[in-house]
Amino acid sequence: MKVTVKSWTGVATWRWVANDDNCGICRMPFDSCCPDCKLPGDDCPLVWGACSHCFHIHCIVKWLHSQPQQQCPMCRQDWKFNNK
Amino acid sequence: MAQNINPHYASSSNPAKQNEDTIKLKDNHAVSKRLQKELMELMRCADKGISAFPESENLFKWIGTINGPQETVYAGHKYKLSLEFPNSYPYAPPMVKFITPCFHPNVDTCGLICLDILKDKWTALYDVRTVLLSIQSLLAEPNTHSPLNQQASYLWPNQPAYKKYVDEFYNKHRDS
Ligand SMILES: [Zn+2]
Ligand SMILES: [Zn+2]
Ligand SMILES: [Zn+2]
Repeated sequence: MKVTVKSWTGVATWRWVANDDNCGICRMPFDSCCPDCKLPGDDCPLVWGACSHCFHIHCIVKWLHSQPQQQCPMCRQDWKFNNK
Repeated sequence: MAQNINPHYASSSNPAKQNEDTIKLKDNHAVSKRLQKELMELMRCADKGISAFPESENLFKWIGTINGPQETVYAGHKYKLSLEFPNSYPYAPPMVKFITPCFHPNVDTCGLICLDILKDKWTALYDVRTVLLSIQSLLAEPNTHSPLNQQASYLWPNQPAYKKYVDEFYNKHRDS
């Protein structure tokens, strides 16, 4: 996607990119589960990629399955689970 | 077409289909939830020059509007688009089409748009807002290397002539 920034006014544009409270894929807050799950907690853990981006495990797995290439939807680097 | 209809609103009287519908319903629930969030977000912080709203109670079909970007040949024009969301949204992109005829190198006569983020460059992080903003910037900066509309692509370098043509085209078709 091509975006030319002509002027910067400092409003909350592109806020989701840097939004640390929500899963970028389903938009649900990280302290609740993904829309496919009922209860927050261990059933729907958060996972981090080597690129440091974070998603619900169900959301990122669904994304990786839907794509020919295994890339982070945020930064398009190859997705590797960060097991720390 | 039929698969884009939310089963909440479609009739499901056929018992043999019920199992399939339950599965779809689960998927649709997640998609509806996300679309509702997007709608709320769009209403809360409206961007200049774009807007979008579901066409009816069916959350899976929206009508969007884009104002032609300032200081371009499209300035002062207003284009309506339709957005249809598949059950696999946001894992797959919405189907986006111009409803108001748009004379542009990357828009064909049916209103179909050639834009990478609606195809192979799609990611689940994009949304209605980013889609409409990208189309708005496509109006300002067409890709004339792989045009869907040859005539528009030829004319593009001659901006005064293009402006004249596109104004006439817009005034003739805006209400159709
Ligand atoms: Zn999620
Ligand atoms: Zn989950
Ligand atoms: Zn990443």
